[in-house]
Amino acid sequence: MKKVVVAATLAAALAVLATAAWGSTKGSTKVASQANASSALVKCGKTRSIGLLAPITGPAASLGQPQVHWAKFFVSNYNKTHRKKFKLVPEDTQLGAANGTAEAVKGAQALGSSASVLGVVGPAGSNEVKATTGALKGAGLGWVSGSATNTQITLDGTRTGFFFRTVPPDSSQSKSVTGYITGTLKLKRVYIIDDQEAYSTGLADEVQAQLQAKGVTVGRDGVSQQQSDFTSLINKIPRNTQLVYLPWQLPPKGKAFGQQMKSQGRAGVKLMGSDGLFDPLFSSLGNNVYDSFFPLNPADKRVAAFKASHKGTELFGAPSYVAAQVVAGAIDRACKNGTATRAEVRAQIKKTSIAASASLLGLKVAFDKHGDMVKKPFGIYHSVKGVFVRVA
Amino acid sequence: MSSLGGGQPGEGGLPAAAPEPVDAPDRVKVGVDEWVAEAEGRRAARSGLTGALVRVWERLPAPARLAILIGPFAIFPFITNEGNLYRYGLITIIYALLALGLNVVVGFAGLLDLGYVAFFGVGAYLYGIMASGHSGHHLQAEIAIPIVVISTALFGLLLGLTSWRLLGDYLAIVTLFFLQAFVIFVNNANGGLNDFSYPFVGKVDLTGGSNGLDQIDPLNFFGYHITTTKGYYFFTLISITLLMTMLYFVNGSRTGRAWRALREDPLAAEVMSVPVNRLKLLAFMFGAATAGFSGTIYGAVQSGAFPGDYDVGLLITIYAIVILGGLGSIGGVVIGALVVNGAPELLRSSSNARFLFYGVLLLALFIAMRPWYKPVVVLLGTIAFGFAVHGIASAVWSRGTAGHIEGGGQLGRALEHWVLLPRNTSSIAGWAYFALIVAALVLTLLRGWWRALALIPTLYLASFVWENKLVEQVSGATRLILLGGLLVVIMNVRPSGIFGTSRVEIA
Amino acid sequence: MNWSLFFGELVSGLTLGSIYALIALGYTMVYGILKLLNFAHGDVYMVGAFVGFFVLKWLGGPLAPAVTGWLAVAIMFTVAMLACGALGVGIERFAYRPLRNAPRIAPLISALGVSIFLQNSALLLWGPQFRDYDTFDLVGVKSYHIGTNFFISNVQILTISVSIGLTILLALVISRTRTGKAMRATSFDRDAAEMMGISIDRVISFTFFLGSALAAAGGIMFGLVFGQIFSLMGFTAGLKGFTAAVVGGIGSIPGAVLGGFLIGLTEAFATGYLPGGSVYANLYVFALLIVMFLIRPTGLLGSPVIQKV
Repeated sequence: MKKVVVAATLAAALAVLATAAWGSTKGSTKVASQANASSALVKCGKTRSIGLLAPITGPAASLGQPQVHWAKFFVSNYNKTHRKKFKLVPEDTQLGAANGTAEAVKGAQALGSSASVLGVVGPAGSNEVKATTGALKGAGLGWVSGSATNTQITLDGTRTGFFFRTVPPDSSQSKSVTGYITGTLKLKRVYIIDDQEAYSTGLADEVQAQLQAKGVTVGRDGVSQQQSDFTSLINKIPRNTQLVYLPWQLPPKGKAFGQQMKSQGRAGVKLMGSDGLFDPLFSSLGNNVYDSFFPLNPADKRVAAFKASHKGTELFGAPSYVAAQVVAGAIDRACKNGTATRAEVRAQIKKTSIAASASLLGLKVAFDKHGDMVKKPFGIYHSVKGVFVRVA
Repeated sequence: MSSLGGGQPGEGGLPAAAPEPVDAPDRVKVGVDEWVAEAEGRRAARSGLTGALVRVWERLPAPARLAILIGPFAIFPFITNEGNLYRYGLITIIYALLALGLNVVVGFAGLLDLGYVAFFGVGAYLYGIMASGHSGHHLQAEIAIPIVVISTALFGLLLGLTSWRLLGDYLAIVTLFFLQAFVIFVNNANGGLNDFSYPFVGKVDLTGGSNGLDQIDPLNFFGYHITTTKGYYFFTLISITLLMTMLYFVNGSRTGRAWRALREDPLAAEVMSVPVNRLKLLAFMFGAATAGFSGTIYGAVQSGAFPGDYDVGLLITIYAIVILGGLGSIGGVVIGALVVNGAPELLRSSSNARFLFYGVLLLALFIAMRPWYKPVVVLLGTIAFGFAVHGIASAVWSRGTAGHIEGGGQLGRALEHWVLLPRNTSSIAGWAYFALIVAALVLTLLRGWWRALALIPTLYLASFVWENKLVEQVSGATRLILLGGLLVVIMNVRPSGIFGTSRVEIA
Repeated sequence: MNWSLFFGELVSGLTLGSIYALIALGYTMVYGILKLLNFAHGDVYMVGAFVGFFVLKWLGGPLAPAVTGWLAVAIMFTVAMLACGALGVGIERFAYRPLRNAPRIAPLISALGVSIFLQNSALLLWGPQFRDYDTFDLVGVKSYHIGTNFFISNVQILTISVSIGLTILLALVISRTRTGKAMRATSFDRDAAEMMGISIDRVISFTFFLGSALAAAGGIMFGLVFGQIFSLMGFTAGLKGFTAAVVGGIGSIPGAVLGGFLIGLTEAFATGYLPGGSVYANLYVFALLIVMFLIRPTGLLGSPVIQKV
């Protein structure tokens, strides 16, 4: 048997070399294959296709469904008022499901090979953005996310010119939060609890660092998203803590945490959430609850129309509306002469400029050289009579 | 009728009745030799088309069997586009590779290892540490891959040491703990505020924490980078072919026999001076090394390693592949991977899923009920029953038939006239689901024509539940529900998996 | 010495421990008789919690129940325990009984299949959202103080006392009734018990009924204390329940209870005192298991197992 094993290993080495030579590229062909896909001319025709990567089912469906609804809302609004229509090609990324980011990559590959797709909206998670970079960049597609907020994904240079986002990054959110805690509330002792997911730990790290730089005493801990029993953790929070910061994604967990705090006699401590907790479930806890959320113009007619046709608030998905708007606008401009390439669409996304009056966010939408929006404020909200009201 | 020395065909001019299959579940298997059991069972129990196929398959030499299994995979890239190749081809082969390693630990050696996918993750992360933009090192694959394989084997050795004193179920829990520890470690080892501070070096960013280890380099052999899906596909295909060949030889060798002895009865094996502990370690190491190798491929393909990818969900998928394919069967694993990975992909669109659902239902009906006229009667009865119910419902309760089937095409439109589609489905569908489960279980208790009769409303109920509830979540919950049900059914019908060899326990 | 932290974690640990003890009891009884690791047990616990929620909803919801809070809770317990008992019996009948003579791994895989099936049926029918018990509005949660450092709420007292009460009840059933005697005989030697005229099928079904009913009670208690339930809560709870059963000595009833409380206290104190507390709390629990294996492989109160060839 030993001889067989040795022979097999040698054969393996030879075979590997042969395969590598056959199926491989020498560095530059990656650009070539990219160039092939991104410079392929696509006839625009009457209906253009936009890819949509979102967690339609799976544990994060509560985040993905609003995004899908808002994107579809945009497309239906657009199709009502234009002769040439748009069509969404959804791919389910099942964020948080058994195979992790594998589903997102599969979806990205499918969109890349689908010849009529000219641009993509999504994906939802920052880790998914990283995992799908190879597939989407290789296919020459530009993609715009409405919820991937990790600060580094636009700054590390791997996706420049391809990836954009219509939601402010964590660095903006942490700045707003820190500013409010130290400047307005003037607190000195804060406890931060993350939920071990990428979005949460990133945000928590940044807020912790900034608070500590300003002389605030910060305690830090984490819970798993599967956990509902917080009593042991609540016991650990020092008695003199003034505010607990919860950069979580699931509003029911925020509510459970608040209720358990109350049942252990800690009702006086202030609670602050992040944009994942911006939900009536969290604000119903009482008037010592704060939250931060990306800017949204509440007076916008489209927001009201959306609320009327969809029960529940689902405001979390609004940036996906803007993302769809950006991609659609870019495809429109690229298609002016009847045909377009993915490279042209990317170039047009870069040049996006939506005026404040036309944008759902109440501010101008334009991208800087990294792919972030030029203006990226985060608002601070306070729960008054069970409803979040903007205070900063 | 004795099973030892069963009747010879042609004796006395009459064809011998097939002897009772030796692996019938309620037979006490005392003193029956495994070889006799296998030969008898196979010769006698299969007749007709399946029997002929099985006999042809067994007579083929091993290389031919390998070619038949691998051949379609080799042709696949030339007949499909890149997206489909990734989805149906590459991921299937990677999972098959992973499952092969697990097959060695569970199928060959009989050790229930629930921490197996941790080695998959170790492989991906180690490769990422050695060759990624994140870590700053860019080792070439011909150096990195052997390092990864050897290191993962060492981790397997460490985990295997725990198996020395532990019996089956306890080993399962300990290995599961190892997996949880791995996931939590990898999620926090980013040198950040929550991380441990190591002696001498302080805080180190090993794995990028919950943001994952990104920008992993593509596999780079002596300057040649594998960057296309096709390249990775062929690389993995050749690796799995070689691994299957190696395992085939191992299976027939002393080590393989020793592993089988260990699987059947560890204490007896030890008494017969089989080096049980060394074999357990060898199994663990081999499995871990295979997982580590597949991990490097997966990490390079995704150009990143993220904590959530190597958790219990993947473990269940790989176990499903090994179980469906048959514990201890090398070729079965590949087929299992095809089914477990391919089927959900086909199920992604609800119209595909609908065809698959009704197709499988019809197929199961015709296979399970012989002679041929029984399923035909049941089918016609169900259709008639359906129309009757639909007719009554539309007359009496209009809300019951107001719904639509979206995107179903011709089949969908036809079904709209047959199935009840209430407009407000949620609570009714829930009770119907419950009723369906009860009905299906009751079916197993009935026999003969009673069963056929009870099938008619059950099938209609199944279609009702499908259209109103299951179709909504086809790629998520429904697929897993079917998987869970399938596991239970397979264990009941063929406890050793589809292609596994039935085992005899000596009481 | 931070007494309020100490007492807080003590109460927290005892509460958690009582829930784990109930789950562990089910595991230990089934393992004692069938030598089977019932993976689906944690999901029966989850189903119990959900049944309790729906009973509450049927009674008018936590905010406006048709009967007073505590009576509603009693009804929830009864209905859920009966329903889950039936569920447990059904699972045993169809997923485990046909495999009694199959190779050891077959019922294990079947259990895994049932677990996946239950979890995803719950996901399908009831969605991934969390369901709130809203205990505050239902029974009014009151905290009792003893001195300045000791707090305990009434639902926590309820949890601990119900758990101990059910355990005592179970112990009485096993030691005083004929069926209990039959259960003990079957777990000691199945074939001999069968030869003595005990109906093995009935005994096993009854065991599953009891175990599942206890798990359902645990599920409702979890909902009451922590306020929230969701479809995937069975997995970790089941795992910890099994750990508790093993730590206490599998096959031993008092061992399961002891193990449950030990695990609960470990989790609470690890969260409170050890570095990286809450994140690594589960790991500390499992590390306790490993230590237990190395020191006393049969658990605290278990008896050594004789292996026969």
